[in-house]
Amino acid sequence: MESSRVEIAYLKRFAKWSLILAVLSVILLFSMGVATAIGPMSIPFDKALKIILHQIPLIDNFVPVDWGSLEESVIVQLRLPRVLSAVVVGVALSIAGVAFQCLFRNPMADPYVLGVASGAGFGAALAMILRLGFSVFGAVYAIPLMASIGAISTVFLVYGIARTGTELPVLRLLLAGIAVSSFFSALISVMMALAGEDLHVVYMWLLGGFSLSRWEYLYVAVPTVIMGFIILYAFARDFNIILLGEEQAKQLGVEVEKVKKSVLIIASIITAVAVSISGIIGFIGLIVPHIMRILVGPDHRILLPSSALAGASILVLCDTVARSIIRPIALPTGIITTMLGCPFFIYLLKRSGKIRI
Amino acid sequence: MVLLKVCGVDCYYGSVKVLENVSFSVDSGELVGLLGPNGSGKTTLLRAISRTLKPKVGTVLLNEADIFSMKSSEVAKRLAVVPQSASLEFEFTALDLVLMGRHPHMGRFEREDQTDLEIAKEAMMLTNTWHLAEKPINELSGGERQLVMIARALAQRPKVLLLDEPTSHLDINNQIGIMDLLKKICLEKNIAALAVFHDFNLAARYCDSLILLHKGKIFAIGKVEEVLTEENLQKVFNVEVIVRRHPITNSLYIVPVSPLQETKTSPKNLRIHVICGGGTGTPLLKLLYRNGYYITAGVLNLLDSDYEECMLLKIPTVSEAPFSPITEENHEKNLRMIDQADIVILSNVCFGKGNIKNLEAALYAVEKGKKVAVVDETPIHQRDFTGGIAEKLYAMLKERGAIVVKNCYEIPTILEKLENMIQP
Repeated sequence: MESSRVEIAYLKRFAKWSLILAVLSVILLFSMGVATAIGPMSIPFDKALKIILHQIPLIDNFVPVDWGSLEESVIVQLRLPRVLSAVVVGVALSIAGVAFQCLFRNPMADPYVLGVASGAGFGAALAMILRLGFSVFGAVYAIPLMASIGAISTVFLVYGIARTGTELPVLRLLLAGIAVSSFFSALISVMMALAGEDLHVVYMWLLGGFSLSRWEYLYVAVPTVIMGFIILYAFARDFNIILLGEEQAKQLGVEVEKVKKSVLIIASIITAVAVSISGIIGFIGLIVPHIMRILVGPDHRILLPSSALAGASILVLCDTVARSIIRPIALPTGIITTMLGCPFFIYLLKRSGKIRI
Repeated sequence: MVLLKVCGVDCYYGSVKVLENVSFSVDSGELVGLLGPNGSGKTTLLRAISRTLKPKVGTVLLNEADIFSMKSSEVAKRLAVVPQSASLEFEFTALDLVLMGRHPHMGRFEREDQTDLEIAKEAMMLTNTWHLAEKPINELSGGERQLVMIARALAQRPKVLLLDEPTSHLDINNQIGIMDLLKKICLEKNIAALAVFHDFNLAARYCDSLILLHKGKIFAIGKVEEVLTEENLQKVFNVEVIVRRHPITNSLYIVPVSPLQETKTSPKNLRIHVICGGGTGTPLLKLLYRNGYYITAGVLNLLDSDYEECMLLKIPTVSEAPFSPITEENHEKNLRMIDQADIVILSNVCFGKGNIKNLEAALYAVEKGKKVAVVDETPIHQRDFTGGIAEKLYAMLKERGAIVVKNCYEIPTILEKLENMIQP
């Protein structure tokens, strides 16, 4: 059979996808560069780039050193971990958002839909109020560790409540998520009422931000999120089919229950990792998938990676705005994501007129 | 060759048994219809066969292999399901949807290649949907969507095809189109198909054999004429039906009769004979039937719409072969029926050489002293195709005391008066 225009157009889409991802990658690198250069201490863009290149083994010798040690430590110890944290969190929240919206076939779902946020918040608040100070590898890990524990145990709690036999009905999951989430929110409120002088710290953490970022947190987060992405991407075609409904997906050979369980756990873990390093950053995980669906279409094989890249760029830029808009005060990044992202999303919504999974 | 074999399947929802001891098989190239009232277990049976619901007892064999011991992607390569048409609110194109049928054949990170596209194209050409390939699914009409779903099923390259009400919510042209297509697919691709139907007539016309489910059990199974009997349908669906062979398609067709007891008022003792034809008697027959009279009719030709109405209402009728003049023998039968009637009503029927005997019969009734009512809506000279004979007889009829009314809706009042006269 001779290939017709339609078939050629279909096969060309794979090339188009690569192009989209290349453009988004360039945008992300550019955002990261800008974010590294901007700050209270102004360091020119080219100098910042050279400092970064100097950190990479093998090419470090080719970069002539023409900067001071203060500039180097601002870039390397403060800005780089912060920017990379924003990248990791942006990727994690966006892909978790895509996964949850698909599994629940609900455009309102976000990474926190199973109560990860309030579970993590509860863990973190507990660590702050009890002034837990245990450390691993010499770094203070109490808050991220407690946040992760809180997040993951919440997911398993919700999972256990929702499960019926071997099945995992999504409606039960949603409702169990809402119930458990509300319960932990109430506990957080109780602790905030009792917090006294720690109230401000707890509150700022709950708003989400990157002021506590450090390299050590990334050692766990980066591999986890990369692994999570690979696993979710492996299910990309299954996601497309699950949108037809679970019954049809089963009939098309998708192991729905298996996919659902794996994806819920993976997406929850990467959300927990994100929450543990940045607190609760709203909006990204809910809106980035919608924006990308409008821009690149519903196929998860492009939606998932493009959301990851776009989410990372948006979060890096939002964080840069957050720490430079009202100097010297650094606003919590979560406020900026919502304040900038919502109008943009409303614009897209008005323009395209429809919203779908 | 037997492609699908269901052996002694029992299915439960919780503790409620919805299927009991269901066994049957479907051969390659065969289209089997699954019928039954709502809640009889049709959809459940499809779910059990498609590996969506595990039966508590019994097995489902796909090409002699138990489907529950196979991986779901292995099942999906051999068995495809066309679900009930539902709205799909997303922006995948028709081609995307059809290519989803290739999923079971593809590796995890594999992308659709030229071969997959060719298979999808072939399926879409067969279902005549290739021109819709780049249209978003949510912009298609119900009929187009159903065809695309069938194309997706075909892209799976299945040996067995299950369809859940493939024609519901569709226009009549789409219903016929889809059924013709299904029949063709079964024969050309040697696919074994099992489809749920609500429409007996479509099932009767297209299926090779039928399964009638009732309360989770197989009530009847076999050839169309063995399953679709008046008795079976009455028992399972609790409605009176008439099963006939259609003169054009020569397949069985079923006409449900309006639930008898509900519309009838208390039966009356008066016996009425109606002389009609060409559809002029239908409103009259309905009216009399609803008022509870005992009705007879004649002489009517088979295929005459008044005759069909009489069959529908189970009215004893003297009948004549289609488009034939009334024979002396049938005329005689008609007169005997008139003898037993209390009242005779003549509808606004046209008269020709073939049915002039019916006018003679009316005259006979008047002469016998029966009360005769004549519906005289159209002047008789316009209804006379006998060259004046009918007009003459008609005049005689009026002369000898037949009651003339302008239309059939005046009949009940007349009948009430007559009733009082006859039975004071």
